[in-house]
Amino acid sequence: MGIMLFGKQRVSNRTHLISTFLVAFGTSLSAFWILALNSWMHTPAGYTIEEGQFFAESWSAIIFNPSFPYRFTHMMLASLLTAAFLVAGVCAWRIRQGVDGPATKMVLKSGIYTAAMIIPLQILAGDLHGLNTLEHQPAKVAAMEAVWETERGAGFTLIGLPDEDARETHFAIKIPYAASLILTHELDGEVKGLNDFDAHPPVAPVFWSFRVMTGVGTLMLLVSWWGVWQLFRRGALSGLALSVVSWMTFSGWVASVAGWYVTEIGRQPWIVQGLVSTADVVAQHPTATLSGTLFGYVGLYLALMIAYMKALRIMALKPARLLEEDSNPIGTPLVGAAT
Amino acid sequence: MSEALPLFFVSAMGLSLLLYVILDGFDLGVGMLLPFGTDAEKDTMIASIGPFWDANETWIVMGVGVLLIAFPKAHGIILTSLYIPVTIMLVGLILRGAAFDFRVKSADHRQPMWNKLFALGSLMASMAQGWMLGAYITGLTGDAVSVAFSILISLTLPALYIMLGGAWLLIKTEDELFDKAAHWCRLALPPMAFALLLVSIATPLVSAEIADRWFKLPDAIGLLPIPMSCALAILGMDWMLRRPKVLHAGYGWFIFVALMVICLMAAIGLAYSIYPDIVIGRMTLWEAAAATESLQFIFWGAIVTLPAILGYTVYVHRVFSGKATELSYE
Repeated sequence: MGIMLFGKQRVSNRTHLISTFLVAFGTSLSAFWILALNSWMHTPAGYTIEEGQFFAESWSAIIFNPSFPYRFTHMMLASLLTAAFLVAGVCAWRIRQGVDGPATKMVLKSGIYTAAMIIPLQILAGDLHGLNTLEHQPAKVAAMEAVWETERGAGFTLIGLPDEDARETHFAIKIPYAASLILTHELDGEVKGLNDFDAHPPVAPVFWSFRVMTGVGTLMLLVSWWGVWQLFRRGALSGLALSVVSWMTFSGWVASVAGWYVTEIGRQPWIVQGLVSTADVVAQHPTATLSGTLFGYVGLYLALMIAYMKALRIMALKPARLLEEDSNPIGTPLVGAAT
Repeated sequence: MSEALPLFFVSAMGLSLLLYVILDGFDLGVGMLLPFGTDAEKDTMIASIGPFWDANETWIVMGVGVLLIAFPKAHGIILTSLYIPVTIMLVGLILRGAAFDFRVKSADHRQPMWNKLFALGSLMASMAQGWMLGAYITGLTGDAVSVAFSILISLTLPALYIMLGGAWLLIKTEDELFDKAAHWCRLALPPMAFALLLVSIATPLVSAEIADRWFKLPDAIGLLPIPMSCALAILGMDWMLRRPKVLHAGYGWFIFVALMVICLMAAIGLAYSIYPDIVIGRMTLWEAAAATESLQFIFWGAIVTLPAILGYTVYVHRVFSGKATELSYE
């Protein structure tokens, strides 16, 4: 990382390229192991238990546990989408602000094309991941869909207010048969309801996080394909499209965080699905200590997020120095120039 | 094999933590010294640690990672007992990492704030680590003695880091900043020596067994090189820091080497004191070790990772050798 960021003048181009590749490779490798571990907590495999202690039986079964291939694919695609929208969003915003160089439009285009190519794959990967979850963690899926009673031909609740005390979803707008269709790929497939599980996760946060994730995902599909259509037809994005894309700059984070809420809250009350409950392993610290540090972290990260966005804004307003000669002077609007 | 693996991992963990103290020690030290430089000096100080600090921090990740996967039971006890200092350290390290980038990327009028946060984060992390060391050496008991001792170490360990930071600046900078660095080293030397003495006195006091190990003849004679080399290093540094001419003649690196000797000797002494315990008086490293099959698996990971990080560390120091120049992303 040090070489990649600050070493360009001190090492050969080849070494710099290798160090950049190593940063990408190392990050992916890190994601691989983190997700192998996390997936094992959702779908434990390859272990034996002796006297209340876990022992490894098969490392390949532990690493490539049932949910790992899906979760890994889903997360890697999510990271690519996040980066594509960040890059496209910043470039779109630069063009709108008139801070433009030839690179800006190229980078915007590659962001839009990347997003447009990845998002259908991501929706497919998400669907397969969901089916895998249905097989191994049906209670999570029931919470995602707020299905209370086991039924055939279950409708998909588009939106509504899940109420765990009343065991029903108020003001539900449903698409008939859709839940069964999505989850079992059959119109009258059976979906097991929350009331038929001994333990299930808190319904409302999982339900809402899932809607935020899929909602942002749908927006990503619409916006990126609309962008591609415009690029094909007129070679540039319209003013409206530029403003929509720049509003979507941080959409990847929203969708990713919502997705992690779905899967992690959806695993509750377990920390290792079906084997270890969260309440059993939480450290015996006073509540004040735990909640104090939790709020400390949340406050710190909120402050840093604001600082990050402000810094990004300042950096995005700086013209690209290397391209100064061929770039338009600051303030010259370029919107629609290519039409 | 099952006997050797826990030893291998405890050595890997010890080596990682030793390298962490030396390597992140100097950049934490430079962070704490930051408020005492002029604006231009601040930029030079940051530039002197810029390419290194993130690689330096991987050593504590490595050390705690090995503790988690190779000695899970000890990890549970240690990290639960140290929950609050660990949190403070993490907040400090997060602040530092963010401030490092934001001080040049945010609005200009915000730069003083990020400089202050960089220094504050460095101080928080250093003091928290001192607290952890103090609590660990006194057996994680949480009683009054342990708390008092932890406070004492948390006030004195930063002196070691400040010395490392000053010594690093003696290698990496010139002119006025160089002279300032020598001055900072002179100021930090007495509290650092005091901290070292405290830790040395405390460990035998905590347990009779440890005291026995150090003061029993003839073993004590064999151990003499440890305190003696530390004393020599301290006297040598004191001698040189009083002689600016020698420092300017290009011997500034001696201070850093002397500090490395002290860190190495402290690590050897600590290991000798507590072996084979991993939580003093409560758990040996054999009792804390994970199952042999697990250790075998991660052995291959460690065999690849350790030399890779070591190799990178050497390489990056060669690429960015010499006096610090302005950082450039281009």
